[in-house]
Amino acid sequence: MKTKILLVGGRNKAKALAVSLIGKGYHVTAVNDTYEDCLKLAEINKLDVINGDGTKPFVLEDADAGSADIVIALTPKDDENLVICELCKKRFHVKKTVAILTNPKNTPFFYKMGIDSVVCAITAITSIIEQQAFMDKILNLLPPSEGRISVAEIPIPASAPAACKKLWEINLPEHAIIGCILRGDTILVPRGDTRILAGDMLVLISSSQQEPAAVKELTGR
Amino acid sequence: MHLLIAKKPDDKYTIVIGCGRLGANLANTLSDEGGNVLIIDRDKDAFRKLSPSFGGLTLTGDATDIDILQEAQISKADTLVAVTNSDNTNIMAAQIARELFQIKRVIARLYDPERECVYREFGIATICPAILSANEIDKILSEAGISDNDPEEEGQ
Repeated sequence: MKTKILLVGGRNKAKALAVSLIGKGYHVTAVNDTYEDCLKLAEINKLDVINGDGTKPFVLEDADAGSADIVIALTPKDDENLVICELCKKRFHVKKTVAILTNPKNTPFFYKMGIDSVVCAITAITSIIEQQAFMDKILNLLPPSEGRISVAEIPIPASAPAACKKLWEINLPEHAIIGCILRGDTILVPRGDTRILAGDMLVLISSSQQEPAAVKELTGR
Repeated sequence: MHLLIAKKPDDKYTIVIGCGRLGANLANTLSDEGGNVLIIDRDKDAFRKLSPSFGGLTLTGDATDIDILQEAQISKADTLVAVTNSDNTNIMAAQIARELFQIKRVIARLYDPERECVYREFGIATICPAILSANEIDKILSEAGISDNDPEEEGQ
């Protein structure tokens, strides 16, 4: 049995997500309240499209929300996303509900209301822009746990203070470790006596607050 | 007038969300009764609907924004009434008031009675105009039914 995913609202986001999820073999249904958007969505192969307001229980019923495994609320309005997810949870007993959010301050409230996963587009985008603008050459791979932990790839040039030092000689902050060293084609899981060489690529795992301090310790910047 | 003066000043603090016909009317009434009222609306032109004698406060902003609610000193409120024209906004504002600020009495208007299941669990009182109107019309019809013989005289 295919995993069923219900996408509610959203125009471009719904389109892109639908294409990607169908490609991965999921059964996807999209609900949208604008007829023109529905026509666009209907061009996607194998996608079921329902025209209607997803905050209304009968529309969700038409979309067979009761049999969905995951519901993703993508409308641009936070209150609508909240209602969609709550209806799906309470009325249709959907296992997992995901909401996107425009106001980052509402994130804890959404979790408190029982929504399983909250994605704040603005926080995600601003953090990417910040990285691009201020930390060049350093690539944040992923921000797990809502951005409290960060995983970053850090290149070590010859001029870096950490170059040619053993790991235990480097005074890293408390909540930071080097998880992996990429040296040419080899991958090293470092120990205290592993020496960092110029040209290495370090994978740094740290708390978001201490990341800049750790980066400074390693690269001097 | 005598009655109004004789009444003890009511120091209950009520927040009304949405300055439409219902919200404005309610705010006017509460303010006339001597209560502390603050009314929130997204659109500052909406406050024109308030009567000139309105003695409460107005605040322009989105009531689903926690900062706006804090600016309205929501933690001091005894009652919150959510009567915007959007059911979803009413649901969200009412839930924030109930769950994050533990407001004792939270009332929300809901056009669509089908969404009520979301509220019930949270102890939020709901007012549904469609159901109230249906009941009222039903009452008028049944009254008319009794005096079927002489509808002219009964004239509503």
